[in-house]
Amino acid sequence: MNRTARQRLLDPKPGSKIAEARDFGIDLTMLAENLRYTPAERIKRNDQAANSMLKFEEAVRNAKASKKSKTQ
Amino acid sequence: MINLFEMARRFAEAEAKFVIVGGIAIRGHGGNYVTEDLDICYSRTNDDLKKIASVLAPLDPRPRNFQEGLPYVFDWTTLQHGTNFTFETSMGDVDLLGEVKGVGNYEDLVPQSLLVDFDGYSAYLLSIPALITAKRAAGRPKDEAGLKVLEALQEAGKEEGEQ
Repeated sequence: MNRTARQRLLDPKPGSKIAEARDFGIDLTMLAENLRYTPAERIKRNDQAANSMLKFEEAVRNAKASKKSKTQ
Repeated sequence: MINLFEMARRFAEAEAKFVIVGGIAIRGHGGNYVTEDLDICYSRTNDDLKKIASVLAPLDPRPRNFQEGLPYVFDWTTLQHGTNFTFETSMGDVDLLGEVKGVGNYEDLVPQSLLVDFDGYSAYLLSIPALITAKRAAGRPKDEAGLKVLEALQEAGKEEGEQ
């Protein structure tokens, strides 16, 4: 039976490049999830993720600045 | 606000000749790496430089890490004075590459790319095998994870979105 790309990613054969990526630390469940989307949708999701990370970084910066001003 | 999709769509709308490479290309193929810049390899004819510049000019481009407060004039002739550029813009960072190591220039990349729909406009995305070639040629430790992702995706045999 032919397996889909998602199935191959979620259940890699021993010795395969997919298994190698898993052992390296790549989260294969995220790759499998991404295959549900079109290339354009994946790039839009990257933008959303990048903007979320920037907001998070800003929140951390603000928290650190606030903590610093309270201790002075 | 980062909007790399919209920037790429505008390049395509302007009929600029370019191929998306780097992290956004990996992401387009299904990678999970989050990137904050758009890397493109572009055609360097004067006509194409004008198209690239017409998209970037309204986005207030400045060289990355350019000293604040110093004036910077950008137009299409700016692009004549170099090959590779790294710009900050109001939509996010963009790297313009005249050539991709191990793969070649725009004309070399096109046959190794896929046409992807950007909300009604088509743009080339460098293929997984070509991205692997480029990553291997670059030989940078920071690319190792991206290379593993690309090899896994290639083996999984899926380059298009699954419906």
